[in-house]
Amino acid sequence: MPEANIVLKNCGVIDPARLDSYLAEGGFEALEKASGAMTPAEVVAEVKASGLRGRGGAGFPVGLKWGFTRQAPAEIKYVICNADEGEVGTFKDRYILEGDPFGLIEAMAIAGYAVGAGRGFIYLRAEYHFLKDKLAGAITQAKEKGLLGGFEIEIYEGAGAYVCGEEMALMESLEGKRGEVRYKPPFPPSRGLWGQPTVINNVETLMSIPRIIKNGAGWFTAIGTEKSKGSKVFSVSGDVGKPGVYELEMGSPLRELVEDLAQAQDTKAVQMGGATGRLLPGAMLDTSLDFENVLGAGSVIVYNSSRDMVDIVHRNLEFLAEESCGKCAPCREGTQLMVVVFKRILAGKAKERDIEFLKELATTMSLTSLCGLGQAAPSTLLDSLSHFEDAYRARMKDIAGAVT
Amino acid sequence: MAKPGKGTITVTINGSAAMGSEGMTLLELARQSGIEIPTLCHHEELSAIGSCRICVVEVEGARTLVASCHTPIAPGMVIQTHSEKVLAARRMITELLLASHPDSCLVCDKANRCQLRHVATDLEAAQPQVRGRKRCYPIEDVSPYIKRDLSKCVLCRRCVAACREMAGQNVLHMAYRGFNSKVVVDTDRPLDKEVCRDCDICVNVCPTGALSLVEESGSKKKGKPLFIKG
Amino acid sequence: MNMTAKIREIGKQGRGREELLAVLREARESYGCLTPEVIVELAAGLDLPVGEVYGVATFYSFLSTRPKGRNNIRICKSIPCFLKDSQIIIDTVAEAIDIQPGETTADNRFSFELTNCIGACDKAPAMMVNHRVYGGLTPAEIARILAEHK
Repeated sequence: MPEANIVLKNCGVIDPARLDSYLAEGGFEALEKASGAMTPAEVVAEVKASGLRGRGGAGFPVGLKWGFTRQAPAEIKYVICNADEGEVGTFKDRYILEGDPFGLIEAMAIAGYAVGAGRGFIYLRAEYHFLKDKLAGAITQAKEKGLLGGFEIEIYEGAGAYVCGEEMALMESLEGKRGEVRYKPPFPPSRGLWGQPTVINNVETLMSIPRIIKNGAGWFTAIGTEKSKGSKVFSVSGDVGKPGVYELEMGSPLRELVEDLAQAQDTKAVQMGGATGRLLPGAMLDTSLDFENVLGAGSVIVYNSSRDMVDIVHRNLEFLAEESCGKCAPCREGTQLMVVVFKRILAGKAKERDIEFLKELATTMSLTSLCGLGQAAPSTLLDSLSHFEDAYRARMKDIAGAVT
Repeated sequence: MAKPGKGTITVTINGSAAMGSEGMTLLELARQSGIEIPTLCHHEELSAIGSCRICVVEVEGARTLVASCHTPIAPGMVIQTHSEKVLAARRMITELLLASHPDSCLVCDKANRCQLRHVATDLEAAQPQVRGRKRCYPIEDVSPYIKRDLSKCVLCRRCVAACREMAGQNVLHMAYRGFNSKVVVDTDRPLDKEVCRDCDICVNVCPTGALSLVEESGSKKKGKPLFIKG
Repeated sequence: MNMTAKIREIGKQGRGREELLAVLREARESYGCLTPEVIVELAAGLDLPVGEVYGVATFYSFLSTRPKGRNNIRICKSIPCFLKDSQIIIDTVAEAIDIQPGETTADNRFSFELTNCIGACDKAPAMMVNHRVYGGLTPAEIARILAEHK
């Protein structure tokens, strides 16, 4: 399948500093159509019919989220754009924010109209501070031209915490608090920011909205697979010839992304979805990229045959132990203890029962952690044990054939 | 059993039907039905915290286990409070807390009034086979009223909530992140506040030996002996 | 304006609770570090408990309660940069300014730390100096980049 061009349609085409350049490409026609020719309920229905699902990793149907928020009885509602792209190996939202800031603003205004929110926030990760002025400039231009109606968009900067990409932690942070996870329910559409109904969507998710409104849900559902409509944007890094941002139709084979586009060779494994993602062996390159199979938030890190998977998983776990918010016991203590066990493995001091312990610990963390970070923290570990067990066995103390 | 009225919700808990009112948590319903679920961070007089995860139960159709202390009951829920899966998870969480707990546990003044020990004993949790990192903080005994030994803190946050919600003070706060999270006073100063005079609310809600009254040491009975496996 | 007055002003611009992160960031950039004195003053200005402000300040990696130099170097230590030999860059910087990660130079010109993924993996190995991102680093470029920051 060829590269898709939905989300990234304007990136590299328009001048991101000039509103007229965006308007020349049909910018703000979707918002005009939504607010002029459609009722808010019709906008929500259109998004529902498009089958669009969240691109942040969880894949929740966007139309449902919007519908719940619209129906929530409250005077004040909010729209949040999650631009706290912190997953290891992802930079696609940065690329979108750099290349098409107006598209995001238009999408947020459509969301505001659909759910009845008058105020929106872009939660921008601290590391992307250099994008703040560009985004602010885009908002000002759109506002001065009267394109946003009364919809207000503010940029809120994070302060360096991966966990704030989790929606509950993000809202805590936006309220000026520690970015710790809140328990659910209540969910954001009923009680989100400052206790008000809130729609919170990732940058990439929002970028499909103007296209759906403009071209209709039918156009969108024709792209992709049965359960995964539209396209997905990937950030490819690691052992590849051409690292970068690529957009593919849902259902495309992983091989096309890593070998044809990013020009990887001699691939031993691909880590999909960052530190909390999946680790696929090179033999699984024909897996298709969609919610039915493997997707993640869009981070794709490629490892060639020279890489040591035990070392890689150790690095993932160290990252998660550092970034755990510390609120719930399984994640706070579990990520730390996994790192301790890995230090033993790397030192050649681990025994078979340590691996058994890691598996039991992984199960408990997945089942009991408060948020997605802790629940998915052991996933690269478990995948590496399934696909690269030899790498572990070679380091075990009490196994025949092990290097001692 | 009372007739279902408006706002009454019927669920199945461990195979039997049970009725509760709207807004009730799974934990409240279980307790009302005479089913004991272990807890650490939960306290009846405080709003739900949800940090320890010891009270998890199995709800049919849910992707993960759910914490019973903050999950409201919903019509038709099928709940298992003591399945193998649930017990294994509770046991592992307890072992995780024991992994970072100091060895001074053996000679702790809280002794058998310690809720962590009770939970561990009931679940037959063992000292974990992997020796984890310990949290090491100096004992704070500057205050004439309250002594803090944060090496024994399990970060349940009951004291933080109790100080705010029950005592109406704001002395205790969470600081730092992840494993290094800590209950602090001001800019991480030893506790020495005059408002703590005549208030032992945080001490009373602390499940472990992290908080104690200064005069308490050695003066109270420690209860019947408990045994920890392993 | 002395420090206390300025912090009071930062705190008292009618800003609500949600501005705490921004206020802390400003104070950190003005004073290099959120010392206990700065935290106490900000808390008074914002009418928040000191412990609450300290709790927020110590949660985020961009809000430091330890003294920092005028320029903060953050080298990415995450996997995509590691695969592109970030260790060589780390060693080169450490040698060039003669300090280890976590330290500040004696002349207060540079602080140096390792950080988690900064979202520049397509330009790995990458680092940030203050808010500027430098990608595709080679050891030869380090001296020139450091010279940009006085």
